[in-house]
Amino acid sequence: MKINDLEQLESEDITTLPSTERRTFLKMGLAVTGMYLSGTVLSLTTAGRVNAANVVPESGEYPYNPHYSMVMREHLCIDCERCKEACTKTNHVPSHGFRTTILEKRRSLGGDAYETIFVPVLCNHCNRPPCVRVCPTTATWKDEKTGIVVMEPSRCIGCKTCMAACPYNARYFKEETRAVDKCNFCLDTRLSKGETTTACAEACPADVRVFGNLADPDSRVFQLLHSPGTTVWVLRPETGAMPNVFYINS
Amino acid sequence: MEGNVTITSAPEAIKPAINRLMWLALFMIFIGVAGAVYAQIIGHHHAFANTREMPWGMLIGVYAYFAIISTGLCVLAAFSHVFGGNRMAPVANRMVWLSIMALLGAFTVIGLEIENPWRMPLGVILHPNVTSNIWWMGTLYGMAVGIMLLEFGLILTKRFTAAVIFGVLAAIAESLANSNLGSVFASLSSHPFWYGAQLPIFFLGSAVLSGAAAIVLFTHYSYILQKKEIGEYTFLSLQTAGKIMILMTFLVSVATGWKFANAYSGSEAMVMAADSLTSGPLSTNFWVFEIGIGLALPCLLLVVTRLKSVYVMSTAALMILVGQFFSRFNLVVSGEIVPANYGFVGVPQYFSYSPTVAEYLLVIAGFGVVGFGFLAGEWFLGKVFHHKVFHPHTDIDHH
Amino acid sequence: MWGNYKMKKILLMLLFATFLFGGAILAATGGDQAKDDEYDEDEYGPADPIIWVKPVKSVVFEHKIHTMEAGLDCDSCHDDLFEMEAGVAEENDDFTMESLYDGGYCGSCHDGDTAFASDTRCTACHIGVRGHTRLVGEEEMPSH
Repeated sequence: MKINDLEQLESEDITTLPSTERRTFLKMGLAVTGMYLSGTVLSLTTAGRVNAANVVPESGEYPYNPHYSMVMREHLCIDCERCKEACTKTNHVPSHGFRTTILEKRRSLGGDAYETIFVPVLCNHCNRPPCVRVCPTTATWKDEKTGIVVMEPSRCIGCKTCMAACPYNARYFKEETRAVDKCNFCLDTRLSKGETTTACAEACPADVRVFGNLADPDSRVFQLLHSPGTTVWVLRPETGAMPNVFYINS
Repeated sequence: MEGNVTITSAPEAIKPAINRLMWLALFMIFIGVAGAVYAQIIGHHHAFANTREMPWGMLIGVYAYFAIISTGLCVLAAFSHVFGGNRMAPVANRMVWLSIMALLGAFTVIGLEIENPWRMPLGVILHPNVTSNIWWMGTLYGMAVGIMLLEFGLILTKRFTAAVIFGVLAAIAESLANSNLGSVFASLSSHPFWYGAQLPIFFLGSAVLSGAAAIVLFTHYSYILQKKEIGEYTFLSLQTAGKIMILMTFLVSVATGWKFANAYSGSEAMVMAADSLTSGPLSTNFWVFEIGIGLALPCLLLVVTRLKSVYVMSTAALMILVGQFFSRFNLVVSGEIVPANYGFVGVPQYFSYSPTVAEYLLVIAGFGVVGFGFLAGEWFLGKVFHHKVFHPHTDIDHH
Repeated sequence: MWGNYKMKKILLMLLFATFLFGGAILAATGGDQAKDDEYDEDEYGPADPIIWVKPVKSVVFEHKIHTMEAGLDCDSCHDDLFEMEAGVAEENDDFTMESLYDGGYCGSCHDGDTAFASDTRCTACHIGVRGHTRLVGEEEMPSH
């Protein structure tokens, strides 16, 4: 067969299938993976989409409402660490641990010159949280209403598998409660008391951290992530955790 | 004689030696558990070398080490019991017993490694998580210990048909538990050097290798304790175990080779993790102990001596068990040693980890439990282990 | 730490090589490199960086970059924009980014024309807690 003939042939891959058929096929994959990972929290979209250009879930596909998320306007961070101080104070974080912190990276500007980029990090409250999957005693789970990954310290046996499983180093063992501790978007300390944002977001003088409900098209997080020309990225997308902390530069 | 429980005391001649060793084992358990209790009180954060970034250390490796030995013994015992024609049947009862003891050693280590063992028994029952490999591993190993104790009871009371059925069930439970243990690491996509389909099957392969080595070693030591010559049938059993050791050292070496070939064609994190073993901080552990002493030399020794000498087989078995110990340590540490944030300012190329005294003490306790179990078996059940007296198949074959 | 040992050896060799090349450059350019030692505090201002910790931790200012390298005189800024005495500006309530945007303090030059605008390249001056710790050391950051 000549190349020309080959090009004339109709492709047999799934791109030529009618879209309903394609959807059924994809759903099949979902069912299989969802079965293994077994949980309503886990099957938001196929893992393949994580590596696609768009790391933000499609509108209308949010499994929670409010679907809490955070947008980091990364280049504005100046590492003043008021977020850390506010978090520590609000959530009684001991000095040996942290729920949120600031990483520092350098980008070459050519020659000896470089620019510093500060990267605020915290629990990503993933849609497919590896920590939740591995816990033997269900001491951590995704809150059914908000999608926040919460902890029940009294159930924690301290096997630390969740710490090993987390791609984001978001968990630490808190001696005071003899349990793993982590960011919960201030669910117990603020959100449940009527506050609308987290302690870290409130404390930020540079408006780096924007907290809100991604399922609400009027929310600032939604607007920021859906404004034209914006590049949105997440940390460690290759792990398939589908994080809910997004990074932008605009 | 069916239903007649046979628990005997050791022959007078070997009592003093076993007695002294049992006290030694008890002492090991005592100092290890004392160290672990001390660690519980002052907090693992202070007593162990683990950190937020490296939550697992030597103790997880040692737990896996004992659990893997247990699986190997249990699986080999089941094969021998079911297919009596294979020549390992004469040592199968000892394998069952040692499998239970190795698992108890593993439970001792993991039970004191986790921070809140008292929250576990109710926690895993009231709040089970069926997606958790840890949960399945614990449940299946727990079941396996129960089934094997029943099996052993049936062997003692000479209900051999039922014993064989329970032996097979135990082997299935152990195998599934073991591959779940592999999957505890292998399902963590956050750690690319662990992640993948290889580890669960690698653990099973290591189990067969460790199990064969353990039965050779312990059987030989039993005869040394008894100051007796190894009989023909037992020797043939050990030779079969020796063949398994040759085969499995080769297969595990091949699997290890592919593990590295794969890592070196992978991401930067994979390459760095592989480097930590081949040329980095773990390289002595890896080349000298895991590969040299643990796989290459014993294989060579066994092949060159053509399994003629029980001393050589026993030495090779010891080397394999030392190598497997390092292999588990290397596996746990190499998977975590590369910082996820490597490349950020102030983040090192590798984390450093060296176990603390409290960790070593707990390892000693694990060996103490296995050692005590072995000696107690020789003391009370020596006759059951003797091939001519109690065995479902050899009874028929050789009486 | 085998890997580190190897790394160190390589780094040492690189350092050695740098010295060799450095020597060559020095010889060729007639002692350009020596200027570093000739930094004159009377002419160019204090050699140590000025570090402000209020209102946010921490912002750095290097006299050398602005005087010796950019060619500004002392009276370009003193005492009009800043007092000679270090640490006075940060006690003022108006020592904020807003003031800078209105042409106050650093904003007098950092307006996008004379020098990069104050609302760009945040981390060029904001070294943060991490940068502060690197320059000053852990003990002076009690909140850390």
